Amino acid sequence: MQKDKFFRDIDNVTHPNERLVKTHCSYCGMQCGMNLRVNTKTNKIIGVEPRYDWPVTVGKMCPKGVTAYQQTNHKDRILKPLIRDDASLKGTQKGFREASWDEAYDLIAKKFSELQTNYGKDSLSVFSGVSMTNEKCYLTGKFARVALGTRYIDYNGRFCMASAAGGFLRTFGVDRGSTLPWTDIHETDCLFIAGSNTAECHPTSMFRVWAVQERGGYLIVADPRETPIARRADVHLDLRPGTDLALANGILHLLIKNGYTDEAFIKQHTNGFEETKEVVKDLTPEHTSFITGVSVEKIERAAEIYGKAPNAIVMFARGVEQQHKGVDNVSAYCNMALVTGKIGRPKAGVATFTGQGNGQGGREHGQKSDLLPGYRKITDPKAVEYVSKVWGISPEEMPKPGVSAYEMFELMNDKTIRGLYLLCSNPAVSAPNLNVVRKALKGLDFMVCADFFLSESAEFADVVLPSVTWSEDEGTVTNLEGRIIKINKAQEPLGESKPDWQIQVELAERLGKGKHFSHLHTASDVADEFRLASKGGNADYYGATWDKIDKQDGVFWPCKDEEDEGTPHMFHDKKFYHPDEKAKICALPYRPPAEEPDEEYPMRLTTGRVVYHYLSGNQTRRIPFLKDMCPEPYVEVHPHTAAQYNIQHDEVVRLYTRRGESNYKVKITEAIREDTVFVPYHFGHEESINLLTIAALDPMSRMPEYKVCAAQVEKLN
Amino acid sequence: MTKRRLFLELENCIGCRSCLAACTQCGGHEQRNRNYVYDVNPLVNRQTMPLMCLHCVDPACARSCPAQAIQIHETGAVLSALTEKCIGCQNCTIACPYGIPKFDEEQNLMYKCDLCIDRTKDDIPPMCASVCPSNTLQWLTEEEIEEKQQRHDLGNDKWVTSMPYLEGETNVKINLPGILEGTTKLF
Ligand code: SF4
Ligand code: SF4
Ligand code: SF4
Repeated sequence: MQKDKFFRDIDNVTHPNERLVKTHCSYCGMQCGMNLRVNTKTNKIIGVEPRYDWPVTVGKMCPKGVTAYQQTNHKDRILKPLIRDDASLKGTQKGFREASWDEAYDLIAKKFSELQTNYGKDSLSVFSGVSMTNEKCYLTGKFARVALGTRYIDYNGRFCMASAAGGFLRTFGVDRGSTLPWTDIHETDCLFIAGSNTAECHPTSMFRVWAVQERGGYLIVADPRETPIARRADVHLDLRPGTDLALANGILHLLIKNGYTDEAFIKQHTNGFEETKEVVKDLTPEHTSFITGVSVEKIERAAEIYGKAPNAIVMFARGVEQQHKGVDNVSAYCNMALVTGKIGRPKAGVATFTGQGNGQGGREHGQKSDLLPGYRKITDPKAVEYVSKVWGISPEEMPKPGVSAYEMFELMNDKTIRGLYLLCSNPAVSAPNLNVVRKALKGLDFMVCADFFLSESAEFADVVLPSVTWSEDEGTVTNLEGRIIKINKAQEPLGESKPDWQIQVELAERLGKGKHFSHLHTASDVADEFRLASKGGNADYYGATWDKIDKQDGVFWPCKDEEDEGTPHMFHDKKFYHPDEKAKICALPYRPPAEEPDEEYPMRLTTGRVVYHYLSGNQTRRIPFLKDMCPEPYVEVHPHTAAQYNIQHDEVVRLYTRRGESNYKVKITEAIREDTVFVPYHFGHEESINLLTIAALDPMSRMPEYKVCAAQVEKLN
Repeated sequence: MTKRRLFLELENCIGCRSCLAACTQCGGHEQRNRNYVYDVNPLVNRQTMPLMCLHCVDPACARSCPAQAIQIHETGAVLSALTEKCIGCQNCTIACPYGIPKFDEEQNLMYKCDLCIDRTKDDIPPMCASVCPSNTLQWLTEEEIEEKQQRHDLGNDKWVTSMPYLEGETNVKINLPGILEGTTKLF
């Protein structure tokens, strides 16, 4: 069924003394299929072989995926627990000594108990991430609420997918990142892609994107930079950072004015059209052009193409989501599909490019401050009752909702939160406004960090626990399509490292909560409990057994029971997930970015990824090929702007905002707006661009506005 | 067995250099990548292109080799120099119209793309074409290549960007940038 024109039956090559373990990449939401090459004598991972029979990516991988295997036996792996006795060395790599697991667990249990005795249950916090399996994400939520009993748990998805989630929930009543499988993409007639540097961030989508154009279909890209995908677009909407809402509203204005609406669809399947029509009335092409800086002709052409296309897919990513109106941007772009009825059928719909490997699954099962497994609200008494039963606690014991990721750091700074268990994340690089965040980490009474490399955040920890890489454990991940897939174990854990779920079970036992955790001996045990906990929720995984995932090449949620094959296409029956089964067309007045340029800070600073690195770079900066290709950050400047500042290519300049500063090498390129500068965010310590970014949070998703703030460039001598 | 060839659709390249990273994963390649990807005009735009060995039918590299170290496989692949024969003179690098053969200073030996011969001899795609995320590098049958090349010939006597050969006939086929000019739009 999923074998499309790109699928070929190709035999894999197996070298002598090697076996292949089929799995997926450790990094982005594409979750490209791959085979890990394992030496049968040493039982160690030694390389990679394409996985031609994975229907989504048919063997393709970006350079991160090709070299991902080099993490497992890397010389920088942490092999034993580390303890630092001298707290004055926090914020450095110094002062750690190796310790036994027993000593580390004892110390953590003692310190955590002390803090909770002295300052209450909520003095502890958990900060987690979604570059790990559903099983681990699920258990982390349970660990925080049952083993620690704290309300303060949140995760790095707040810096990644939270706005997409908020927008989808408001518009459709359900948050599945794509309404259709990726194998539909190359068959559509028009791709409207906003705020996604697809060629660098989700490279293995590109053969499908180019195929649309090869068939004579259209590609429209909205991005302040002429990225590799924008370079070949039929229309490149080169908007000012932070003005997406005006652009989306302006296009909606034209779709309505020029008669591209599907009145029957609007009437039967949506609410809110009239109010929205009123709001976008003022967004004429001229006014839209004034706000966004995109020419009137381009706006008109883009609307015409999207309007005329028999089938079209609207796609977006962090460019539109990492704004303090990220949720509104998402809903506004979804409006385009709703007013034209281009959704709920094959080859037409809406999708977000999920950033992290398990950015989809990891946000559904209880790592978010207000969610329980199965995408249930922790404020819903029925949900609390159901999940409490699965967890073996009384509903009264269930903690209340906490606060979002960035707000946790503010609570650390005011001493509401005094202890932290950090895993699968590196906020000392990835959070915005880092001066505040690093101060918060440094000021903690006690901090535990689990990671497999000593990250910049681990440098603030009192205890570092060695966790395993993705290749040393098994479990499921939900890729950017909403397809639940299986990660397989290819090697035994290196040194004394352990999977995070095992660390949590053992730590829970030390904390006297063993009766809720001790029955979990394997990842598969966790999977069984997790499927049950999700049962009946919107994100229902109950029927997605590992067997079925294997047989079907993945299972799209919702998948309610053994017979259910899953749901590749959402809303096929035109039923949305709001109580009245209608989608909501949202009336969203434009508002500017939180910080607009002024005389003192005349430039717009925007940030993003490069193809060679993943997130905070804690993994990819250690891989020789990737490091060689992109060893350090830089600032992209348009030649006209460079001339104004009298700065040259490769010259080092000072870049600063109201919050912080750093020095960067200049990279001159015409492929950026004159009023905008860009810096990649994968770098640590004084190289982090997040020293400069703003923590203006979206009111709904609590997503920081990474994608735009006001900055100034200074020539150094 | 169908005989496939490497085909380059240069307009597709996104500059990810996955082809180079993957090159080292072929059994005989000892962790060294053997080709190039270059930025066409880095101060202006983000266009990139792979620069691969084209496996010439009458390869200048092999002809120029005084030690006859560069062998041609029956599939047409021009192999890397036999280490026991190569004298490290670098004639091949100079003779190749594209400067493809690389040189290992330490071992005083040349090394070049052998089209992943232990894969392609069995019609399994080379590593670069296996992973290339943009389908710049593809492993195609003659018919598929013919079809691709026709798209680059508008029949107006003007727009021809599919090269039958560059500096002589090559086993690897190329379409130069310009794919979009040859496309009829759907609507
Ligand atoms: S990083 Fe993403 S696109 Fe690259 S190989 Fe891994 S999953 Fe695929
Ligand atoms: S892998 Fe493909 S897209 Fe990437 S640089 Fe090589 S040829 Fe270009
Ligand atoms: S492209 Fe250069 S290296 Fe390759 S076969 Fe031709 S002459 Fe030899």
